[in-house]
Formats: sequence, C-alpha cells, structure tokens
Amino acid sequence: MLTGVTSSTGVANLIYRPTVPDSQTVTTTLEFPYRRSLGPVVGGFMRALGEHRILGVRTPAGEVLVPPLEYDPRTGAALEELVDVGPGGVVGSWAWVAAPTRRHPLDHPFAFALITLDGASTALVHAVDVAGEGAMRAGMRVVPRWRDEPQGRITDIEAFVPETGGQG
Amino acid sequence: MPATDIAIVGWAQTPAVARTDATEPQLCMQANLAAIAMAGIERSDIGFTCAGSCDYLTGGPFAFVQNLDAAGAWPPIAESHVEMDGAWALYEAWVRLQHGDIDVALVFGSGKSSPSDPAELYPQQLDPYYLEPLGLDPASIAALQARALLDTGRATERDFAEVVARSRRDARTNPNAHVRDEDDPERLLAAPYTRNPLRAHDVAPVSDGAAAVVLATARRARQLTEHPVFIRGIDHRVDVHQPGMRDLATSPSTADAARRAGLGDAPVEVAELAAISSPQELIVRDAMGLGDGVAVNPSGGPLGANPVMATGLIRIIEAARRVADGTARRAVAHATNGQALQHNLVCVLEGES
Amino acid sequence: MADETMMDDLVTLTYEELLPPNTVRFAEALVDGRILGQRCHVCARVYVPPKGYCPLDVVLLDADDDVEVSDRGVVTGFTIVAPVRYYGQTKTEPFVYASVLLDGASGTLGGQDITGVPTDQVHAGMRVRAVWKPKEERTTKGQSARGWGNVEGCISSFEATGEPDVPRAEFEEHVI
Repeated sequence: MLTGVTSSTGVANLIYRPTVPDSQTVTTTLEFPYRRSLGPVVGGFMRALGEHRILGVRTPAGEVLVPPLEYDPRTGAALEELVDVGPGGVVGSWAWVAAPTRRHPLDHPFAFALITLDGASTALVHAVDVAGEGAMRAGMRVVPRWRDEPQGRITDIEAFVPETGGQG
Repeated sequence: MPATDIAIVGWAQTPAVARTDATEPQLCMQANLAAIAMAGIERSDIGFTCAGSCDYLTGGPFAFVQNLDAAGAWPPIAESHVEMDGAWALYEAWVRLQHGDIDVALVFGSGKSSPSDPAELYPQQLDPYYLEPLGLDPASIAALQARALLDTGRATERDFAEVVARSRRDARTNPNAHVRDEDDPERLLAAPYTRNPLRAHDVAPVSDGAAAVVLATARRARQLTEHPVFIRGIDHRVDVHQPGMRDLATSPSTADAARRAGLGDAPVEVAELAAISSPQELIVRDAMGLGDGVAVNPSGGPLGANPVMATGLIRIIEAARRVADGTARRAVAHATNGQALQHNLVCVLEGES
Repeated sequence: MADETMMDDLVTLTYEELLPPNTVRFAEALVDGRILGQRCHVCARVYVPPKGYCPLDVVLLDADDDVEVSDRGVVTGFTIVAPVRYYGQTKTEPFVYASVLLDGASGTLGGQDITGVPTDQVHAGMRVRAVWKPKEERTTKGQSARGWGNVEGCISSFEATGEPDVPRAEFEEHVI
C-alpha cells in the first residue's frame, strides 16, 4: 500500500506516498467488518447485475437515475420504479490510472470514467478496460464485461469495454 | 441579516509540514494558545468552543475527544465538534454567538494526513454501494473533474500549470506553507501525468497541521482589537453526492453559498479558495464570479499546504489577515468538504467600515 | 415484503504514525525498567505516560518536566471481562481489566492484568507492583501516539504485594 515513490519535489501528494523507514513509528490497522442491508432499490440493482441487467430508477420528473438512488436528489421524493438501462452507453469524462492498486477494480492500467448508459439521465462511475490512454475519448461507446460469478456488488461488472471489440 | 455582527479577533496556525511527530492534541494546543494570546483574552472568557476534525483521518474512533485536551475542558466547557473542516466549526460558533448570551468563541481545526494513504482512506467518504467498492481514490476523482473542465473548452492544462506556478511562488512568502519549489509553467507541463490529465503537482500535498480562530461579538471585538475583521456573510450549500449526477466542471453549491453570503454586494480584493486541485481553483473562481483583479490564494493556497480539516479554516485566517493589515478592505474565503467540490462554504470578511 | 439482500464490506485502514518525543522517552525508559511521567509546572499533576502538555492548565510540557514514578501502586478499580466473540477478538478466557494508580502519578494506568491473587479476590485498594519482563524480552510494542499508556511490551501484569489495603479516601479521586 505504501508505494515508495515521491514526486520530484520530495513532497507527498494525493497520489503517491513516501515510505520512510523509521524505528519510531507505530503501525495501526483498523478493520470494520460491515455487513450492509441494501433494501429494494440498491438491492434490486445488485441482484439485476447477476442477470446481466443494469437498472436505473425513474423520478417523478421522468428522469432515470443511474445508479439508482432511494430518494430524488432534487425533490427528496422516495423512488422505487426500477427500469432497465443500457447495457451499453457513452463515456463522458475519464481519468487514466497508470499504476492501479489492489483496491482498484483491475490489476493493469485502466480508466475510471463517467458512463451515461442508454436510457439513463445520469452517469455511472466505473472502469473502462482499454490498452492505453490513447484509446480513451469522450463520446466512445462502451458495453459491460460481466464477472463470471456474480457477488451482488457493483464489481459484478468487471469493467466496461469498447463496444466494437474486446479488450485491447 | 444576522442580529449580531461577529468578528475575527485572533488566529494562529501551526506551520504545515509533510509529516510531524507531534500528536494532534499537541498541534491543536499550540494553535489554540497562540490564537488566544493574539486575541488578548483569557481562556475563561470563552463562552463556546467548537472543533473540526475527522476521526477516520486521525485513525481512531472518538479521537476528536482527545483533541479537547487542547481546549482545557475542566472546569466543564460548552463545546461542540464537527466531523468537518474547522471552517464549519467556525460556522457553528458564528451561529452560537447569534444568541447573544456569550461574546467570545474559540474555533479550531486539525488533521494529520501523513499517517494514512489517501487512496485507502478517502473512499470511505464515498457511497459504500456504488463508489467505494471501486476503490475510487481522490486523485482519480480530481482527474475526472479536471477532464470535465478541459472538455468544456473553458480551461487548458497550461491554465492548471499557471495556477500551480503562482501558488508555489506565493507559498514562498508564507512561513506556514511547505510546497514552494518548481514554479515554471513550462517545466510543470513537462512533468509526466500521474492521473491523466493531472500531474502530481496539480493536487494539494499531504500535510499535518492545526489552526485556531477566536470570534467575538462586535461590541466585544472592538474592545479587544483595533482591527476586528467582521464576518459580513457566511453560508454553506451541498450538491448531490454521486459524481455522475452533477456537472463536475461547475460548482452550483459554491455559487449559491456565495450569493447567500452576499459576496456580490461589493467587490473583493482577496479570495482564499480551498481548491485542492488546480482545476478546482478555476471552477470555484468561476462559480464566485471573481474578476481578474482579485488576488487569489496569496498565501499559496492548499497547493502550498493542505492540513486537511484545517485547510478551510486557514483560508478564512489568510483572508482575515489581509483585511486586518489593510491589504484588502473586503475579502472572501472558501472551504470545501467531500469530493470534487460537493459541499462548499463561503465567508465574506470586511474591516471596520 | 422485506428485501434481504446483503453486501459484505470489510473496511481495512492502516496508519503509520511517528511516535511523539514524549512517547519515545516513555517507551525507552520502560525498556530500561523505569516508568516516566510528566509533571505540570502549573498544577504539579503528574501524567503517566507523558502527554507533552497538561490538559487542565492548557500548557505545553517537555522533557524538562519528565519525572520518574514508582512501579508500585494501588488498584483503584477493576472489572472481570467475559470475552464476547467479535471480529478481531483474541481473548477466550475471562480476564481482569484494572486501573492502577502508581505512587507519584496523578492518573491511572488502565487495562492492567492483576496477578498473584485469585480473580475473585481482586479488589480496589489492593497494593500492587509491576511484574517486569526480563530485560532481554522488553519491547516498545503497544506504544501509540494516542498516549493511552500501554506498558504491555515491558510489564506483563501487576501483582499483589501483600501490603495492607489503601483506604478508599486516599485514591477515590482516581476511580476510573
């Protein structure tokens, strides 16, 4: 976790952490074993992933929020009407992760992206698996690559890939 | 308008460093003692104390309770805490002083970021179902926001580099900042991407530090100092959490808070903005409608020092300093909370009119 | 109809922190067989371990304020904990959790094991002394920047000395 890379200024920043061997440090690990109930909206979304479906939730104003929220951020109204979206969609903003950590969804370089799925009014954050940053551009169409064994988590979508072909 | 004018009468910050061996209570005590001394009050004058810190950052449940050692909580004091930047502790103290039954409040904010890895820690402030399991780290979120801004055509990577260059130059005049080196935009642009489209220097450093402010009601403030800095307006607003449900290239909550704080009532000469990435400064400037004549982050801003949970309070301090010393008649300070400018506070300051 | 879908989420957070100078001095003295406190130059209270400040007078303290306290003291309070299973629990048998006020200290060391008497005879007021680990086994393990006063790397328990009990009035300000 503590990668031994500092910026050229020797200053730690949000991206890399210095490893400073020191006989007077103490290392503490906190662990919180959460087990979260998901309810009908979030639970419905996660279950649908196992069926290779992506769901959004319809608001009274007619928008389709993806990922589905339990309450309308505009009005506070409780939301419950889940509808299918995608599974393909369009990339908006993206960021290239050149050195992924074990907490990232992929173990090789990838892009995080905001993906507006067909039929959705809002964008989902997820990973896009392409060979290099040169393959990423706003407007590209992507489709989900599904995990073999669904776990009821957002990572049941392993990543999105370009619609025209597989992983570069 | 509030019934009671509140002024800043004292402040202090510990010099921010990349890594300290002081404990957080020790940092807070240093800041508190210096702010109290500057204000010329006794600890017994303080009617309310409010602190801002983050237990997850400190690395212990209820860690904020130990920070209270720095406020001297015996005999018992009236105090409160927010799991937020000290700027929000200042907001709560400002609200408390509106009641009119006390006339002095102490505010402090603190954080040691050096013990933890932001990429491991910050996802804990994200939606636990849709975002945290992706390990969506703050550098990635900052980069998503950066590209969203670039794609509008309203800014370029060179604009980012110029924000960084100016911040580092200004940080050299700030004894409390610690990132002061490379300030040539060309050389900055030549550095490799760390999170395309951002480079390492585009995001604020990891820093450890604390800051404190003493507030007083107008009548009391005028007794304490010849240069009270009045809070003419203060407000905070929050946008929706999901990054894909708002336009990352704009900050409606900042614009809303600025309007409600009365920023537009008169021009400001100085703006201290808690932008933790170079594109964020451009977004916040735009949301506030700041003109070219405004000096932005003359302290060097968060790119010079970023003691998380004190960074926003320090913006208020740096703006207040320049009002008190006459550099500015009117200034604005901004603080932010959450990721990608989700939650924003705007504080407008003026000297005695 | 309740939705029973659940999601497991094990959150793991790691912190690597420099020990403050006051804790380093405390830890090194402990390995050397001495217990350090710090005396406030305003109120004369002695904090064990040193905090680097007095929280009552709000003054910073430094190495000049360090004092040595005894490794003997009195149990001011205790409980017998029956372990409950939870993630991370390592204890399996009931154990003593006692606060010890060392001679010369103004506050207690918490979470200490009391040995030398059966568990059901542990009581507030009993005199105890530190059971030091052999010097070659002492470590600074368990020290933290939070300063709660962990001595486990050097002292394995406090044992009854057999001296007469201390009257409650002499320690009742420290019953915590």
